[in-house]
Amino acid sequence: MDMTKPIPLTQPWTEAFWEGTKHRKLLIQHCRDCNSNIFYPRKFCPECWSENLDWIQASGKGTVHSFSTAYDMVEPRFMEDLPYTLAYVDLDEGIRMATRIVDCEPEEIEIGKRVEVTFHKLNDDFYLPYFKLI
Amino acid sequence: MSHGKIAIIGIGEVPTRIMPERTRWDILYDVCMEAIKDSGLHKNDIEGVITTAPQAQPVIASELSFGKLPEELGLKGCKDNCICNAGGAGTSNCLRLAEQYITSGVAKAVLIPHVTVHSDIPIEDTINFFARAGVDMQWEYPFGSTYNLIMGLMANRFMHESGCTPEEMASVVTALRSWAAKDPNSLFYGKEVPTVEKVLSSSMLNTPLHKRESNMLADGGSAMIVVSAEDAKKMGRPAAYKLGESVRYFSGTPVVRDIRVVQEGLRITAEEALSQAGITKEDINLWNCYLAYPLGHPMMAEMLGVAPKGEGGKYFLDGRMSFGGDIPWSTIGDAPGRGHTGSGVSAATYVETARQLMGKAGERQVKNCRYVYQNTSGGSGFNNIATIWGGQL
Repeated sequence: MDMTKPIPLTQPWTEAFWEGTKHRKLLIQHCRDCNSNIFYPRKFCPECWSENLDWIQASGKGTVHSFSTAYDMVEPRFMEDLPYTLAYVDLDEGIRMATRIVDCEPEEIEIGKRVEVTFHKLNDDFYLPYFKLI
Repeated sequence: MSHGKIAIIGIGEVPTRIMPERTRWDILYDVCMEAIKDSGLHKNDIEGVITTAPQAQPVIASELSFGKLPEELGLKGCKDNCICNAGGAGTSNCLRLAEQYITSGVAKAVLIPHVTVHSDIPIEDTINFFARAGVDMQWEYPFGSTYNLIMGLMANRFMHESGCTPEEMASVVTALRSWAAKDPNSLFYGKEVPTVEKVLSSSMLNTPLHKRESNMLADGGSAMIVVSAEDAKKMGRPAAYKLGESVRYFSGTPVVRDIRVVQEGLRITAEEALSQAGITKEDINLWNCYLAYPLGHPMMAEMLGVAPKGEGGKYFLDGRMSFGGDIPWSTIGDAPGRGHTGSGVSAATYVETARQLMGKAGERQVKNCRYVYQNTSGGSGFNNIATIWGGQL
């Protein structure tokens, strides 16, 4: 049984995002033509189909939209992490991303609480953007 | 009144069980032959076969894709064969495609089967499949996402916004299992119906989902025979006529799926399907909802206007959707009651819709059942397909 943690299955146009996390930067794709902030990154802007895309650095701060703390029935490769909290976080820049809330007791996490990004090393190429309570 | 184009005139089903010794082809023979016999047609009258794609079972999916079923069953009149995959919404697309076969002249009668056997798949493969299906491999899966967690995220948000309590959520299991206990095709037929207290005392898988609020994987299969509405009427046999349909797409990736968009989609698809059928929600005798997990049912009840906003959970807790209640709801008990057969639960729900309209539902028969609302949804909830079915054209 493969017990290694899965790495993100990237596309050429998402590699800058992951390169940013290696340098502790949370990057958001931005459309220069229609001014949209885009998550998750696309080959073309999903709003206007422009290819005039750029990256902005997020503040790294956001709000918990929802969460669920896992205690059982996850893949064997994630069992050693239990309990862990998966969350949807609304970044101040107006996008929502899936993440984990870390460095706190699960009971402390509530919808609406403020969080900030922290980077978790998966391997030399990938750092996952996790969040912790402010 | 709507002028429906197709009707289900035959149904077949095997009991949902955990029985690895019962092979997929064993199930397919039984459900297909039962459905054809139930329709009153001869096997050689079946001119099209459109199968709901089995999930996580590549060998049978390949065999069915590439035309083995008509040959295996000796359907000498078959003109074409395919399978259709949209997860839990697959069977809805089989029915749409059957309508195309029929209206275009490809086939006069179409067989729509489904089979799933989970019990011979290694458990780690099953967990792995359900951890990845309907989840984004770059933006969700590496964080430890699972189906259960996706449902937990949705449920926590709904409970936060609506005030729905854990007791009310747990009562959905009680309601669904009360129907399942009366259903010979359910994994939980004749079994004790768990109380709210028992549901809440089961271990927590992930907040707010208790073990008894999750699904038990099982094996099963079902089949339907579809003909034109005109032919069904001429045959003069019990039938379920498709009268209306509406659909909305939400998103393939759960994190970009806004709960408010989903809620509006549930509301508007019901409104449009009812309008197409020429009836109102007050005419519906059975709300045959397919949501795979109990946690979506209170939200569904509110969006359909069956329960007032903020009271979906209370309606379940009050027993109104339970067997014997005043609002017949998901009379096979949805996946928590039936046992989870992958994309087969929605297929079984269509069979139940037809069974109720044909007056063949036994102890669970809804009195004077004339109109049924049924929905399906695929993946982790990428869409919602609402349909209206009637016992007459």
